[in-house]
Amino acid sequence: MKYSFPVLLALIAIPAIAENARVLDAHEHGVGELNIAVDGKTVAMEFHAPGADIVGFEYAATSAKDRAAIDAAVALLAKPLDLFVPTAAAECSVIQAGAALESEEKHDEHDHEKHSEHEAHKDHDDHAKADASHTEFHAKYTLTCGNPDALAGIDFPYFEAFENALELEVQIVTTSGAQAFEVERDRPMLDLRGVF
Amino acid sequence: MILRLAIGSLGARALTVAMTVLAIALSVALFLGVEKVRTGAKASFADTISGTDLIVGARSGSVQLLLYSVFRIGNATNNVTWESYQDIAARPEVDWIVPISLGDSHRQFRVMGTTVEFFERYKYRQGRGLEVADGALMSDLFDTVIGADVASSLGYDVDDPIVVAHGIASFSEHKDQPFRVSGILAKTGTPVDRTVIVSLEAIEAIHVDWQNGAQVPGQSTPPEVIRQMDLAPNAVTAALVGVESPLQIFALQRTINEYTAEPMLAVLPGVALQELWAIVGVAETALLSVSAMVVVTALIGMMATIFSSLNERRREMAIFRAMGAKPTTIMGLLVLEAALTAAIGALLGILLLYAGLIIAQPIIDGAFGLWLPIAAPSLRELTVLLGVVVAGAIVSLIPAFRAYRLSLTDGMMVRT
Repeated sequence: MKYSFPVLLALIAIPAIAENARVLDAHEHGVGELNIAVDGKTVAMEFHAPGADIVGFEYAATSAKDRAAIDAAVALLAKPLDLFVPTAAAECSVIQAGAALESEEKHDEHDHEKHSEHEAHKDHDDHAKADASHTEFHAKYTLTCGNPDALAGIDFPYFEAFENALELEVQIVTTSGAQAFEVERDRPMLDLRGVF
Repeated sequence: MILRLAIGSLGARALTVAMTVLAIALSVALFLGVEKVRTGAKASFADTISGTDLIVGARSGSVQLLLYSVFRIGNATNNVTWESYQDIAARPEVDWIVPISLGDSHRQFRVMGTTVEFFERYKYRQGRGLEVADGALMSDLFDTVIGADVASSLGYDVDDPIVVAHGIASFSEHKDQPFRVSGILAKTGTPVDRTVIVSLEAIEAIHVDWQNGAQVPGQSTPPEVIRQMDLAPNAVTAALVGVESPLQIFALQRTINEYTAEPMLAVLPGVALQELWAIVGVAETALLSVSAMVVVTALIGMMATIFSSLNERRREMAIFRAMGAKPTTIMGLLVLEAALTAAIGALLGILLLYAGLIIAQPIIDGAFGLWLPIAAPSLRELTVLLGVVVAGAIVSLIPAFRAYRLSLTDGMMVRT
């Protein structure tokens, strides 16, 4: 009964998980993630970075100065072409861009409705309670590129904008497969020739 | 003039020179051969799975999941419940999904339960599909399709009966339900060659009379009864997923990774392969540096030969001097000789490599599923060859300088 044993375990476990799923994402200071998906002329990007990389702190913002720092960072993150610059010849422009701060609390403090709010990227600042241990900035962008074949690389002024960011783990998915890259502060560029 | 002298001088010492040339040739062939195997292995590796957007399994590590579900090596990952599998299959982003169920074996080969869609969706080497070399795909509950290596090493033909064992290398075999080989796949060079493929229902059927890993005594359900039973699977090991558009991959991956009912993991095969290669890459660098050291050893051997030849050539050098050759000419002659030796060695090395490749290519492909392409030397390889010649010339500078000093002091009469 090799197969039904895990099933039994799962049956026991499911009610417990449904009540409070204690799940946390990976969180490494200095390292952000950028996922890029390319399909024809559309480029979708997702960005995640620890609060420490972007604003230098991860406690809940209480002072006016901290709030201003977060607002400024969110405003900056909402302009992807100032942070991640594709080859000019690819003629990329922003269709949709949004950024927000999300607190990495233990998920069991929320019920699932609130969790799904997390996913929907609504007012995350409300969740940034005093007991939050980590915060993350999330952003989603949709670009359209008039000449996607000319996309030969991406420059990352991102590292100039955010001094605490050291590294970005970039994953690129196209119709021909997935590849991962590491872009570091020392060499803030990505060569995409050979990816498409 | 000096070139003619150098060639003539090498010709006069043909045997010693030939040995040196051979040593350099072998070392160069070894170095370039390692490089070929390295790049070939990397390409073969990366070509094992293509066309699949996500591999989904129980939460483990991306490399572990990839190794177990695609390469069928390493530690088994947990199973995923059929309910969760169906939840994922029902997601709007999912274009196609193929389940994989592992855990049984036939002799030394893994048995994989899946659906017929696997044969259509599994792609390797940039989108090449699986082909049936002999027979047909499974049409009956007890039909199996076997990989090319399974067929050749066990000598199976279409319609042969086979018995599937419980677990891997198990002594308790499922004797009750004899399977039949319905088809044999063409050779792919992927782990599919070493796999016995059955339907998901067949995996359940094997386990009908089994409780907690042992057969219930006295209970043996005849195949006819099993056919009537509900054989819906309880669990699968992993699933290969294709999405409608690349734009949805990351969203689907996140949904699966954050699926609360069951801890699951979705990995991008290309990225997981890269991670795996980053680990293997250390051994690869070690291998390459060892073969580089062999080249260095051969060059030092050449230097030793030149040194030992200096003494016997003192009279020759003295005659050159008497005929008006400058000490620098003597030095140049020796360096030129060494560079020529290294160049001949490098050329012979690359000839050896190609001869070896032509002979070994089909053998390596058959034995390891590793395809080494025979192509014109790459820029990198040509650089290596040029490097060997230059290194040979540089190494010879040391004995040449000694010859230069000797030729200054020695007169016609060589005092020994």
